Amino acid sequence: MSASLALGRAAAAARPRAGRRARRLLPWLLLSPLLVLLAAFTYWPLLHTIYLSVVDVRLFEPDRFVGLANYSGLFRSPSFNAAAWNTVLYIGLSLPLKVLLPIPLAVFVWCAAARMAALHRSILFVPTLLSFVVVAIVWIWMLNPVMGMAQSVLRPLGLQMPALLSNAATAIYTIIGVSAWKVIGFNALLYLAGLASIPRELIESMRLDGASDWRITRSLLLPLLSPTIYFVAITSVLFTVQQVFTPINIMTGGGPSNATTNLFYLAYEMAFESFNIGFASATALLLFVGLGTLAALKAWLLGRRVHYA
Amino acid sequence: MRETAPLTLTSPWRAIGTIALFIASLSILVPLLLVIATSLKPAIEIHGGLPWPQAPTLGNYAAVFERIPLGLYLWNSAATTALRVGGQLVIALLAAYAFARFEFRGRDLLFALTLGAMMLPHSLTFLPTYLMISWLGWFDTWWGLIVPNLAAPVGVFLLRQHMLAFPRDLLDAAAIDGAGPWRALWLVILPNIQPALAAIGILLFIECWNEYFWPLIITESEAAMTVQIGIRRFLDAERGDELGPLMAGIVLVSLPAMAVFLWFQRRILETFVSAGLKG
Repeated sequence: MSASLALGRAAAAARPRAGRRARRLLPWLLLSPLLVLLAAFTYWPLLHTIYLSVVDVRLFEPDRFVGLANYSGLFRSPSFNAAAWNTVLYIGLSLPLKVLLPIPLAVFVWCAAARMAALHRSILFVPTLLSFVVVAIVWIWMLNPVMGMAQSVLRPLGLQMPALLSNAATAIYTIIGVSAWKVIGFNALLYLAGLASIPRELIESMRLDGASDWRITRSLLLPLLSPTIYFVAITSVLFTVQQVFTPINIMTGGGPSNATTNLFYLAYEMAFESFNIGFASATALLLFVGLGTLAALKAWLLGRRVHYA
Repeated sequence: MRETAPLTLTSPWRAIGTIALFIASLSILVPLLLVIATSLKPAIEIHGGLPWPQAPTLGNYAAVFERIPLGLYLWNSAATTALRVGGQLVIALLAAYAFARFEFRGRDLLFALTLGAMMLPHSLTFLPTYLMISWLGWFDTWWGLIVPNLAAPVGVFLLRQHMLAFPRDLLDAAAIDGAGPWRALWLVILPNIQPALAAIGILLFIECWNEYFWPLIITESEAAMTVQIGIRRFLDAERGDELGPLMAGIVLVSLPAMAVFLWFQRRILETFVSAGLKG
Protein backbone atom coordinates (compact mmCIF):
# COMPACT_ATOMS: atom_id res chain seq x y z
CA MET A 1 0.00 0.00 0.00
CA SER A 2 2.64 2.54 1.04
CA ALA A 3 4.80 1.57 -1.93
CA SER A 4 1.94 2.16 -4.35
CA LEU A 5 1.13 5.46 -2.66
CA ALA A 6 4.75 6.59 -3.01
CA LEU A 7 4.73 5.63 -6.66
CA GLY A 8 1.47 7.48 -7.18
CA ARG A 9 2.93 10.59 -5.60
CA ALA A 10 6.05 10.31 -7.73
CA ALA A 11 3.90 10.07 -10.82
CA ALA A 12 1.93 13.13 -9.74
CA ALA A 13 5.11 15.09 -9.06
CA ALA A 14 6.45 14.27 -12.48
CA ARG A 15 3.50 15.97 -14.14
CA PRO A 16 4.06 19.46 -15.49
CA ARG A 17 3.20 22.53 -13.43
CA ALA A 18 0.14 23.47 -15.43
CA GLY A 19 -1.30 20.04 -14.74
CA ARG A 20 -0.84 20.59 -11.02
CA ARG A 21 -2.66 23.88 -11.11
CA ALA A 22 -5.50 22.29 -13.06
CA ARG A 23 -5.57 19.60 -10.43
CA ARG A 24 -5.83 22.19 -7.68
CA LEU A 25 -8.72 23.86 -9.42
CA LEU A 26 -10.46 20.61 -10.21
CA PRO A 27 -12.29 20.12 -6.88
CA TRP A 28 -13.69 23.65 -7.19
CA LEU A 29 -14.86 22.89 -10.69
CA LEU A 30 -16.53 19.70 -9.45
CA LEU A 31 -18.17 21.52 -6.56
CA SER A 32 -19.25 24.62 -8.43
CA PRO A 33 -22.73 23.46 -9.53
CA LEU A 34 -23.63 22.37 -6.00
CA LEU A 35 -22.21 25.49 -4.40
CA VAL A 36 -23.97 27.84 -6.83
CA LEU A 37 -27.29 26.08 -6.25
CA LEU A 38 -26.96 26.00 -2.48
CA ALA A 39 -25.95 29.64 -2.42
CA ALA A 40 -28.82 30.71 -4.67
CA PHE A 41 -31.62 28.53 -3.35
CA THR A 42 -30.75 27.81 0.28
CA TYR A 43 -28.40 30.28 1.88
CA TRP A 44 -29.34 33.45 0.02
CA PRO A 45 -33.07 32.87 0.70
CA LEU A 46 -32.19 32.35 4.36
CA LEU A 47 -30.63 35.82 4.52
CA HIS A 48 -33.38 37.31 2.38
CA THR A 49 -36.03 35.96 4.77
CA ILE A 50 -34.36 37.79 7.63
CA TYR A 51 -34.36 41.00 5.57
CA LEU A 52 -37.98 40.62 4.48
CA SER A 53 -39.09 40.14 8.07
CA VAL A 54 -37.96 43.63 9.07
CA VAL A 55 -39.25 45.62 6.09
CA ASP A 56 -42.56 46.61 4.62
CA VAL A 57 -42.59 45.44 0.99
CA ARG A 58 -44.54 47.70 -1.35
CA LEU A 59 -45.17 47.59 -5.05
CA PHE A 60 -43.51 50.37 -7.08
CA GLU A 61 -41.89 51.81 -3.97
CA PRO A 62 -38.64 51.02 -2.16
CA ASP A 63 -38.97 48.73 0.85
CA ARG A 64 -39.42 50.56 4.10
CA PHE A 65 -37.53 49.43 7.21
CA VAL A 66 -40.01 48.80 10.02
CA GLY A 67 -37.82 47.16 12.65
CA LEU A 68 -39.66 44.58 14.66
CA ALA A 69 -43.13 45.88 13.77
CA ASN A 70 -43.93 42.72 11.79
CA TYR A 71 -43.09 40.62 14.81
CA SER A 72 -45.13 42.63 17.26
CA GLY A 73 -48.01 42.63 14.78
CA LEU A 74 -47.82 38.84 14.72
CA PHE A 75 -47.92 38.47 18.47
CA ARG A 76 -51.12 40.47 18.57
CA SER A 77 -52.84 38.42 15.90
CA PRO A 78 -55.14 35.63 17.15
CA SER A 79 -54.40 33.40 14.16
CA PHE A 80 -50.69 33.51 15.00
CA ASN A 81 -51.36 32.46 18.54
CA ALA A 82 -53.63 29.63 17.42
CA ALA A 83 -51.03 28.48 14.89
CA ALA A 84 -48.23 28.63 17.45
CA TRP A 85 -50.17 26.55 19.93
CA ASN A 86 -51.14 24.02 17.25
CA THR A 87 -47.49 23.78 16.19
CA VAL A 88 -46.59 22.79 19.74
CA LEU A 89 -49.36 20.19 19.64
CA TYR A 90 -48.27 18.78 16.27
CA ILE A 91 -44.70 18.40 17.45
CA GLY A 92 -45.58 17.27 20.96
CA LEU A 93 -47.77 14.43 19.73
CA SER A 94 -45.38 13.44 16.99
CA LEU A 95 -42.90 12.36 19.64
CA PRO A 96 -44.92 9.45 21.07
CA LEU A 97 -46.59 8.57 17.75
CA LYS A 98 -43.78 8.90 15.25
CA VAL A 99 -40.68 8.39 17.40
CA LEU A 100 -41.69 5.95 20.15
CA LEU A 101 -44.46 3.80 18.63
CA PRO A 102 -42.29 2.53 15.75
CA ILE A 103 -39.72 1.13 18.21
CA PRO A 104 -41.80 -1.84 19.43
CA LEU A 105 -43.03 -2.40 15.86
CA ALA A 106 -39.42 -2.65 14.67
CA VAL A 107 -38.50 -5.00 17.51
CA PHE A 108 -41.48 -7.23 16.69
CA VAL A 109 -40.58 -7.37 12.99
CA TRP A 110 -37.00 -8.09 13.95
CA CYS A 111 -38.09 -11.00 16.15
CA ALA A 112 -40.56 -12.45 13.66
CA ALA A 113 -39.77 -15.44 11.48
CA ALA A 114 -37.94 -14.45 8.29
CA ARG A 115 -40.87 -14.69 5.89
CA MET A 116 -43.30 -12.83 8.14
CA ALA A 117 -40.63 -10.19 8.76
CA ALA A 118 -40.16 -9.66 5.03
CA LEU A 119 -43.90 -9.39 4.47
CA HIS A 120 -44.46 -6.88 7.27
CA ARG A 121 -41.41 -4.90 6.20
CA SER A 122 -42.78 -4.47 2.70
CA ILE A 123 -46.25 -3.51 3.92
CA LEU A 124 -44.85 -1.01 6.41
CA PHE A 125 -42.97 0.64 3.58
CA VAL A 126 -46.03 1.20 1.39
CA PRO A 127 -47.23 4.51 2.97
CA THR A 128 -43.74 5.93 2.32
CA LEU A 129 -44.30 5.38 -1.40
CA LEU A 130 -47.66 7.13 -1.47
CA SER A 131 -47.83 10.89 -1.76
CA PHE A 132 -49.38 12.90 1.05
CA VAL A 133 -51.98 14.05 -1.50
CA VAL A 134 -53.08 10.47 -2.06
CA VAL A 135 -53.01 9.69 1.65
CA ALA A 136 -55.11 12.77 2.44
CA ILE A 137 -57.70 11.87 -0.21
CA VAL A 138 -57.88 8.26 1.01
CA TRP A 139 -58.59 9.39 4.56
CA ILE A 140 -61.04 12.12 3.59
CA TRP A 141 -63.03 9.40 1.90
CA MET A 142 -62.61 6.86 4.69
CA LEU A 143 -63.73 9.34 7.35
CA ASN A 144 -66.48 11.16 5.45
CA PRO A 145 -69.51 11.07 7.78
CA VAL A 146 -72.07 10.89 4.98
CA MET A 147 -70.66 8.62 2.33
CA GLY A 148 -67.31 7.46 3.66
CA MET A 149 -66.15 3.90 4.16
CA ALA A 150 -66.12 4.07 7.95
CA GLN A 151 -69.76 5.17 8.16
CA SER A 152 -70.88 2.29 5.94
CA VAL A 153 -69.45 -0.03 8.58
CA LEU A 154 -70.87 1.93 11.53
CA ARG A 155 -74.37 2.61 10.24
CA PRO A 156 -75.56 -1.02 10.13
CA LEU A 157 -74.46 -1.19 13.79
CA GLY A 158 -76.72 1.75 14.58
CA LEU A 159 -73.81 4.12 15.14
CA GLN A 160 -73.30 7.55 13.66
CA MET A 161 -69.89 8.39 12.18
CA PRO A 162 -68.72 11.66 13.79
CA ALA A 163 -67.62 14.46 11.47
CA LEU A 164 -64.02 14.39 12.64
CA LEU A 165 -62.64 16.92 10.17
CA SER A 166 -65.26 19.64 10.53
CA ASN A 167 -65.22 19.56 14.30
CA ALA A 168 -62.68 22.00 15.78
CA ALA A 169 -62.06 19.69 18.74
CA THR A 170 -61.12 16.62 16.70
CA ALA A 171 -59.77 17.91 13.38
CA ILE A 172 -56.18 18.43 14.51
CA TYR A 173 -55.96 14.97 16.07
CA THR A 174 -57.29 13.47 12.85
CA ILE A 175 -54.56 15.17 10.86
CA ILE A 176 -51.93 14.09 13.38
CA GLY A 177 -53.22 10.53 13.10
CA VAL A 178 -53.15 10.57 9.30
CA SER A 179 -49.62 11.97 9.17
CA ALA A 180 -48.50 9.37 11.73
CA TRP A 181 -50.05 6.63 9.56
CA LYS A 182 -47.86 7.85 6.72
CA VAL A 183 -44.51 7.89 8.55
CA ILE A 184 -44.67 5.22 11.28
CA GLY A 185 -43.63 2.46 8.90
CA PHE A 186 -40.69 4.42 7.58
CA ASN A 187 -39.40 5.17 11.07
CA ALA A 188 -39.88 1.52 12.05
CA LEU A 189 -37.64 0.57 9.11
CA LEU A 190 -34.98 3.01 10.32
CA TYR A 191 -35.05 1.31 13.72
CA LEU A 192 -34.92 -2.08 12.03
CA ALA A 193 -31.68 -1.01 10.38
CA GLY A 194 -30.30 -0.05 13.78
CA LEU A 195 -31.33 -3.40 15.22
CA ALA A 196 -29.75 -5.32 12.33
CA SER A 197 -26.30 -4.24 13.45
CA ILE A 198 -26.68 -5.59 16.99
CA PRO A 199 -24.45 -8.64 17.42
CA ARG A 200 -26.35 -11.83 18.05
CA GLU A 201 -23.77 -13.17 20.52
CA LEU A 202 -24.64 -10.42 22.98
CA ILE A 203 -28.27 -11.46 23.02
CA GLU A 204 -27.44 -15.15 23.29
CA SER A 205 -25.11 -14.60 26.21
CA MET A 206 -27.71 -12.47 28.00
CA ARG A 207 -30.23 -15.23 27.43
CA LEU A 208 -27.86 -17.79 28.91
CA ASP A 209 -27.60 -15.58 31.97
CA GLY A 210 -31.38 -15.84 32.26
CA ALA A 211 -32.32 -12.32 31.16
CA SER A 212 -35.98 -11.67 30.38
CA ASP A 213 -37.31 -10.13 27.14
CA TRP A 214 -37.88 -6.84 28.88
CA ARG A 215 -34.40 -6.80 30.38
CA ILE A 216 -32.77 -7.52 27.01
CA THR A 217 -34.84 -4.75 25.43
CA ARG A 218 -34.13 -2.23 28.12
CA SER A 219 -30.47 -2.80 28.76
CA LEU A 220 -29.28 -3.92 25.33
CA LEU A 221 -31.62 -3.02 22.46
CA LEU A 222 -32.63 0.48 23.52
CA PRO A 223 -29.09 1.68 24.35
CA LEU A 224 -27.75 0.31 21.07
CA LEU A 225 -30.68 1.86 19.23
CA SER A 226 -30.22 5.26 20.85
CA PRO A 227 -28.32 6.92 17.96
CA THR A 228 -31.23 6.09 15.65
CA ILE A 229 -33.82 7.25 18.18
CA TYR A 230 -31.84 10.46 18.53
CA PHE A 231 -31.81 10.96 14.77
CA VAL A 232 -35.53 10.23 14.35
CA ALA A 233 -36.43 12.54 17.24
CA ILE A 234 -34.44 15.47 15.85
CA THR A 235 -35.75 15.09 12.30
CA SER A 236 -39.31 14.72 13.62
CA VAL A 237 -38.99 18.04 15.41
CA LEU A 238 -37.59 19.76 12.34
CA PHE A 239 -39.85 18.31 9.68
CA THR A 240 -43.24 17.49 11.26
CA VAL A 241 -44.57 21.01 10.77
CA GLN A 242 -43.63 20.79 7.11
CA GLN A 243 -44.97 17.26 6.65
CA VAL A 244 -48.45 18.13 7.87
CA PHE A 245 -48.73 20.97 5.35
CA THR A 246 -50.26 18.76 2.68
CA PRO A 247 -52.88 17.06 4.88
CA ILE A 248 -53.83 20.45 6.36
CA ASN A 249 -54.09 22.03 2.92
CA ILE A 250 -56.20 19.22 1.49
CA MET A 251 -58.23 17.99 4.45
CA THR A 252 -59.12 21.15 6.37
CA GLY A 253 -57.45 24.22 4.83
CA GLY A 254 -56.32 25.18 8.34
CA GLY A 255 -59.84 25.32 9.73
CA PRO A 256 -62.37 24.98 11.20
CA SER A 257 -61.61 28.45 12.65
CA ASN A 258 -57.82 27.97 12.73
CA ALA A 259 -58.10 24.70 14.63
CA THR A 260 -55.62 22.86 12.42
CA THR A 261 -53.36 25.58 11.06
CA ASN A 262 -49.70 25.71 12.09
CA LEU A 263 -46.94 28.26 11.70
CA PHE A 264 -45.77 26.95 8.33
CA TYR A 265 -49.32 26.86 7.01
CA LEU A 266 -49.92 30.35 8.36
CA ALA A 267 -46.77 31.64 6.65
CA TYR A 268 -48.00 30.11 3.39
CA GLU A 269 -51.42 31.74 3.76
CA MET A 270 -49.95 35.11 4.63
CA ALA A 271 -47.64 34.96 1.61
CA PHE A 272 -50.05 33.65 -1.01
CA GLU A 273 -53.51 34.58 0.20
CA SER A 274 -53.14 37.86 2.07
CA PHE A 275 -49.86 38.79 0.29
CA ASN A 276 -48.27 39.99 3.50
CA ILE A 277 -44.64 39.19 2.85
CA GLY A 278 -43.33 40.78 6.03
CA PHE A 279 -45.65 38.79 8.29
CA ALA A 280 -45.00 35.58 6.37
CA SER A 281 -41.22 35.99 6.66
CA ALA A 282 -41.40 36.85 10.36
CA THR A 283 -43.57 33.78 10.97
CA ALA A 284 -41.19 31.50 9.06
CA LEU A 285 -38.24 32.89 10.97
CA LEU A 286 -39.89 32.55 14.37
CA LEU A 287 -40.82 28.99 13.47
CA PHE A 288 -37.24 28.23 12.52
CA VAL A 289 -35.82 29.76 15.69
CA GLY A 290 -38.33 27.79 17.74
CA LEU A 291 -37.57 24.52 15.98
CA GLY A 292 -33.84 25.12 16.15
CA THR A 293 -34.03 25.74 19.89
CA LEU A 294 -36.20 22.69 20.40
CA ALA A 295 -33.90 20.49 18.33
CA ALA A 296 -30.84 21.78 20.16
CA LEU A 297 -32.55 21.20 23.50
CA LYS A 298 -33.50 17.69 22.47
CA ALA A 299 -30.01 17.03 21.16
CA TRP A 300 -28.60 18.11 24.48
CA LEU A 301 -31.09 16.14 26.57
CA LEU A 302 -30.92 12.95 24.51
CA GLY A 303 -27.28 13.35 23.57
CA ARG A 304 -26.20 12.64 27.10
CA ARG A 305 -27.93 9.29 26.95
CA VAL A 306 -26.83 8.21 23.50
CA HIS A 307 -24.47 5.26 23.39
CA TYR A 308 -22.39 4.93 20.28
CA ALA A 309 -21.41 1.30 19.86
CA MET B 1 -31.57 -12.82 4.37
CA ARG B 2 -31.24 -14.37 7.80
CA GLU B 3 -32.61 -17.81 8.60
CA THR B 4 -33.75 -17.50 12.19
CA ALA B 5 -34.75 -14.51 14.25
CA PRO B 6 -31.94 -13.06 16.34
CA LEU B 7 -34.08 -12.83 19.43
CA THR B 8 -36.74 -15.38 20.30
CA LEU B 9 -39.38 -13.77 22.46
CA THR B 10 -41.15 -15.64 25.21
CA SER B 11 -44.76 -16.55 24.55
CA PRO B 12 -46.83 -13.59 25.86
CA TRP B 13 -44.62 -11.10 24.05
CA ARG B 14 -44.56 -13.18 20.91
CA ALA B 15 -48.37 -13.17 20.85
CA ILE B 16 -48.51 -9.42 21.50
CA GLY B 17 -45.98 -8.84 18.75
CA THR B 18 -47.86 -10.95 16.22
CA ILE B 19 -51.10 -9.14 16.98
CA ALA B 20 -49.51 -5.70 16.91
CA LEU B 21 -47.89 -6.33 13.54
CA PHE B 22 -51.09 -7.80 12.20
CA ILE B 23 -53.06 -4.70 13.22
CA ALA B 24 -50.39 -2.35 11.83
CA SER B 25 -50.26 -4.15 8.49
CA LEU B 26 -54.05 -4.33 8.21
CA SER B 27 -54.42 -0.64 9.03
CA ILE B 28 -52.20 0.03 6.03
CA LEU B 29 -53.60 -2.56 3.64
CA VAL B 30 -57.35 -2.27 4.27
CA PRO B 31 -57.79 1.40 3.22
CA LEU B 32 -55.64 0.87 0.16
CA LEU B 33 -57.46 -2.28 -0.94
CA LEU B 34 -60.77 -0.45 -0.49
CA VAL B 35 -59.50 2.35 -2.73
CA ILE B 36 -58.50 -0.12 -5.44
CA ALA B 37 -61.82 -1.99 -5.12
CA THR B 38 -63.79 1.26 -5.36
CA SER B 39 -61.84 2.36 -8.41
CA LEU B 40 -63.07 -0.80 -10.15
CA LYS B 41 -66.75 -0.31 -9.26
CA PRO B 42 -69.31 0.84 -11.80
CA ALA B 43 -71.14 4.03 -10.78
CA ILE B 44 -74.26 2.32 -9.39
CA GLU B 45 -72.21 0.25 -6.92
CA ILE B 46 -70.15 3.14 -5.54
CA HIS B 47 -72.38 4.21 -2.67
CA GLY B 48 -73.51 1.53 -0.31
CA GLY B 49 -73.33 -2.10 -1.24
CA LEU B 50 -70.36 -4.36 -0.80
CA PRO B 51 -66.77 -3.21 -0.37
CA TRP B 52 -65.66 -5.11 -3.46
CA PRO B 53 -67.05 -4.64 -7.00
CA GLN B 54 -69.76 -7.01 -8.25
CA ALA B 55 -69.20 -6.18 -11.89
CA PRO B 56 -65.59 -4.89 -12.05
CA THR B 57 -64.93 -2.30 -14.74
CA LEU B 58 -62.06 -0.11 -15.89
CA GLY B 59 -64.54 2.62 -16.81
CA ASN B 60 -63.38 4.88 -13.98
CA TYR B 61 -59.84 4.82 -15.35
CA ALA B 62 -61.07 5.99 -18.73
CA ALA B 63 -63.34 8.56 -17.09
CA VAL B 64 -60.57 10.25 -15.12
CA PHE B 65 -58.68 10.96 -18.36
CA GLU B 66 -61.82 12.56 -19.76
CA ARG B 67 -62.54 14.65 -16.70
CA ILE B 68 -59.05 16.12 -16.24
CA PRO B 69 -56.01 16.37 -18.54
CA LEU B 70 -54.31 13.59 -16.60
CA GLY B 71 -52.13 12.64 -19.56
CA LEU B 72 -50.64 16.12 -19.61
CA TYR B 73 -50.12 16.10 -15.83
CA LEU B 74 -48.40 12.73 -16.06
CA TRP B 75 -46.14 14.02 -18.82
CA ASN B 76 -45.22 17.12 -16.79
CA SER B 77 -44.48 15.02 -13.72
CA ALA B 78 -42.52 12.36 -15.62
CA ALA B 79 -40.41 14.83 -17.60
CA THR B 80 -39.62 17.22 -14.74
CA THR B 81 -38.91 14.32 -12.39
CA ALA B 82 -36.55 12.67 -14.87
CA LEU B 83 -34.70 15.93 -15.57
CA ARG B 84 -34.52 16.92 -11.94
CA VAL B 85 -33.35 13.54 -10.61
CA GLY B 86 -30.83 13.19 -13.45
CA GLY B 87 -29.43 16.63 -12.64
CA GLN B 88 -29.43 15.95 -8.91
CA LEU B 89 -27.43 12.75 -9.40
CA VAL B 90 -24.81 14.31 -11.69
CA ILE B 91 -24.32 17.33 -9.45
CA ALA B 92 -24.21 15.20 -6.29
CA LEU B 93 -21.76 12.76 -7.88
CA LEU B 94 -19.31 15.49 -8.86
CA ALA B 95 -19.56 17.20 -5.48
CA ALA B 96 -19.19 13.93 -3.56
CA TYR B 97 -16.09 13.12 -5.62
CA ALA B 98 -14.57 16.48 -4.69
CA PHE B 99 -15.37 16.04 -0.99
CA ALA B 100 -14.21 12.43 -0.82
CA ARG B 101 -11.10 12.42 -2.99
CA PHE B 102 -9.51 15.89 -2.92
CA GLU B 103 -7.92 18.05 -0.31
CA PHE B 104 -8.42 21.76 -0.58
CA ARG B 105 -8.82 24.73 1.66
CA GLY B 106 -12.32 25.17 3.09
CA ARG B 107 -13.41 21.64 2.32
CA ASP B 108 -14.71 20.87 5.78
CA LEU B 109 -16.57 24.14 6.03
CA LEU B 110 -18.24 23.61 2.66
CA PHE B 111 -19.19 20.08 3.60
CA ALA B 112 -20.70 21.36 6.83
CA LEU B 113 -22.71 23.92 4.83
CA THR B 114 -23.93 21.12 2.56
CA LEU B 115 -25.07 19.08 5.54
CA GLY B 116 -26.62 22.19 7.06
CA ALA B 117 -28.74 22.65 3.94
CA MET B 118 -30.18 19.20 4.63
CA MET B 119 -31.43 20.40 8.01
CA LEU B 120 -32.95 23.68 6.81
CA PRO B 121 -36.70 23.22 6.36
CA HIS B 122 -38.41 24.53 3.23
CA SER B 123 -40.54 26.69 5.47
CA LEU B 124 -37.65 29.08 5.94
CA THR B 125 -36.62 29.56 2.33
CA PHE B 126 -39.76 29.14 0.23
CA LEU B 127 -40.76 32.78 0.01
CA PRO B 128 -37.48 34.31 -1.23
CA THR B 129 -37.01 31.33 -3.55
CA TYR B 130 -40.47 31.94 -4.95
CA LEU B 131 -39.70 35.63 -5.43
CA MET B 132 -36.46 34.78 -7.18
CA ILE B 133 -38.14 32.28 -9.51
CA SER B 134 -40.77 34.86 -10.44
CA TRP B 135 -38.05 37.43 -11.04
CA LEU B 136 -36.26 34.98 -13.35
CA GLY B 137 -39.50 34.53 -15.28
CA TRP B 138 -39.69 30.85 -14.33
CA PHE B 139 -43.06 30.99 -12.60
CA ASP B 140 -45.37 28.30 -13.97
CA THR B 141 -42.64 26.64 -16.05
CA TRP B 142 -40.66 23.42 -15.90
CA TRP B 143 -37.60 25.52 -15.06
CA GLY B 144 -39.24 26.71 -11.88
CA LEU B 145 -40.06 23.12 -10.90
CA ILE B 146 -36.59 21.77 -11.65
CA VAL B 147 -33.81 24.28 -11.06
CA PRO B 148 -34.30 25.35 -7.42
CA ASN B 149 -34.29 21.68 -6.38
CA LEU B 150 -31.23 20.51 -8.30
CA ALA B 151 -28.97 20.42 -5.25
CA ALA B 152 -29.57 17.23 -3.26
CA PRO B 153 -27.42 17.39 -0.11
CA VAL B 154 -28.61 13.94 0.96
CA GLY B 155 -27.27 12.51 -2.27
CA VAL B 156 -23.94 14.27 -1.77
CA PHE B 157 -23.69 12.90 1.74
CA LEU B 158 -24.53 9.29 0.81
CA LEU B 159 -22.33 9.20 -2.30
CA ARG B 160 -19.42 10.64 -0.35
CA GLN B 161 -19.81 7.86 2.22
CA HIS B 162 -19.66 5.27 -0.54
CA MET B 163 -16.61 6.89 -2.11
CA LEU B 164 -14.79 7.08 1.21
CA ALA B 165 -15.36 3.36 1.68
CA PHE B 166 -13.83 2.74 -1.74
CA PRO B 167 -10.39 1.02 -1.60
CA ARG B 168 -7.61 3.57 -2.02
CA ASP B 169 -5.27 1.02 -3.66
CA LEU B 170 -7.49 0.72 -6.70
CA LEU B 171 -7.36 4.45 -7.29
CA ASP B 172 -3.61 4.51 -6.78
CA ALA B 173 -3.26 1.71 -9.30
CA ALA B 174 -5.35 3.68 -11.77
CA ALA B 175 -3.17 6.77 -11.18
CA ILE B 176 0.00 4.77 -11.84
CA ASP B 177 -1.51 3.54 -15.06
CA GLY B 178 -1.84 7.17 -16.04
CA ALA B 179 -5.54 7.68 -15.41
CA GLY B 180 -6.40 11.29 -14.60
CA PRO B 181 -9.08 12.21 -12.07
CA TRP B 182 -11.83 12.18 -14.70
CA ARG B 183 -10.91 8.75 -15.97
CA ALA B 184 -10.67 7.48 -12.40
CA LEU B 185 -14.15 8.78 -11.68
CA TRP B 186 -15.63 7.44 -14.89
CA LEU B 187 -13.87 4.08 -15.16
CA VAL B 188 -13.03 3.10 -11.58
CA ILE B 189 -15.43 4.76 -9.17
CA LEU B 190 -18.62 5.00 -11.18
CA PRO B 191 -18.94 1.30 -12.07
CA ASN B 192 -18.39 0.41 -8.43
CA ILE B 193 -20.90 2.78 -6.87
CA GLN B 194 -23.58 2.18 -9.46
CA PRO B 195 -25.85 0.25 -7.06
CA ALA B 196 -25.73 3.11 -4.56
CA LEU B 197 -26.32 5.64 -7.32
CA ALA B 198 -29.36 3.73 -8.54
CA ALA B 199 -30.82 3.43 -5.06
CA ILE B 200 -30.34 7.13 -4.32
CA GLY B 201 -31.88 7.92 -7.70
CA ILE B 202 -34.96 5.90 -6.80
CA LEU B 203 -35.34 7.69 -3.47
CA LEU B 204 -35.02 11.08 -5.15
CA PHE B 205 -37.53 9.95 -7.76
CA ILE B 206 -40.13 9.04 -5.12
CA GLU B 207 -39.55 12.32 -3.28
CA CYS B 208 -39.91 14.37 -6.46
CA TRP B 209 -42.88 12.49 -7.88
CA ASN B 210 -44.81 12.89 -4.62
CA GLU B 211 -43.92 16.51 -3.98
CA TYR B 212 -46.79 18.85 -3.28
CA PHE B 213 -45.80 22.14 -1.67
CA TRP B 214 -43.41 23.51 -4.28
CA PRO B 215 -45.48 22.66 -7.40
CA LEU B 216 -48.50 24.05 -5.56
CA ILE B 217 -46.99 27.51 -5.29
CA ILE B 218 -44.92 27.57 -8.47
CA THR B 219 -47.44 26.31 -11.07
CA GLU B 220 -50.83 27.63 -12.05
CA SER B 221 -51.61 26.44 -15.57
CA GLU B 222 -52.10 22.96 -16.94
CA ALA B 223 -48.97 23.35 -19.06
CA ALA B 224 -46.75 23.02 -15.99
CA MET B 225 -48.97 21.35 -13.41
CA THR B 226 -47.83 18.03 -11.94
CA VAL B 227 -50.04 15.02 -11.17
CA GLN B 228 -50.22 15.70 -7.45
CA ILE B 229 -51.64 19.17 -8.05
CA GLY B 230 -53.90 17.88 -10.82
CA ILE B 231 -55.44 15.22 -8.58
CA ARG B 232 -55.90 17.75 -5.82
CA ARG B 233 -57.78 20.05 -8.21
CA PHE B 234 -59.94 17.14 -9.27
CA LEU B 235 -60.80 16.54 -5.62
CA ASP B 236 -61.99 20.16 -5.36
CA ALA B 237 -63.93 19.98 -8.61
CA GLU B 238 -65.85 16.76 -8.01
CA ARG B 239 -68.72 17.08 -5.59
CA GLY B 240 -68.85 13.55 -4.31
CA ASP B 241 -70.53 12.20 -7.42
CA GLU B 242 -67.29 11.19 -9.11
CA LEU B 243 -65.74 9.05 -6.42
CA GLY B 244 -64.93 6.24 -8.85
CA PRO B 245 -62.82 8.36 -11.20
CA LEU B 246 -61.16 10.07 -8.22
CA MET B 247 -60.14 6.72 -6.76
CA ALA B 248 -58.92 5.58 -10.18
CA GLY B 249 -56.90 8.80 -10.35
CA ILE B 250 -55.13 8.27 -7.04
CA VAL B 251 -54.34 4.67 -7.99
CA LEU B 252 -52.80 5.85 -11.28
CA VAL B 253 -50.80 8.58 -9.56
CA SER B 254 -49.38 6.05 -7.09
CA LEU B 255 -48.49 3.40 -9.66
CA PRO B 256 -45.05 4.68 -10.79
CA ALA B 257 -43.58 4.73 -7.28
CA MET B 258 -45.19 1.37 -6.53
CA ALA B 259 -43.81 -0.16 -9.72
CA VAL B 260 -40.31 1.13 -9.02
CA PHE B 261 -40.56 -0.22 -5.50
CA LEU B 262 -41.68 -3.69 -6.56
CA TRP B 263 -38.94 -3.81 -9.16
CA PHE B 264 -36.12 -2.77 -6.83
CA GLN B 265 -37.68 -3.79 -3.52
CA ARG B 266 -34.62 -5.41 -2.01
CA ARG B 267 -32.26 -2.62 -2.94
CA ILE B 268 -34.53 0.21 -1.85
CA LEU B 269 -35.22 -1.30 1.55
CA GLU B 270 -31.52 -1.87 2.07
CA THR B 271 -30.51 1.67 1.12
CA PHE B 272 -33.39 3.38 2.88
CA VAL B 273 -32.62 1.33 5.82
CA SER B 274 -28.84 1.31 5.88
CA ALA B 275 -28.35 4.92 4.92
CA GLY B 276 -31.51 6.08 6.48
CA LEU B 277 -30.75 9.75 6.58
CA LYS B 278 -33.95 11.34 5.42
CA GLY B 279 -36.45 13.78 6.84
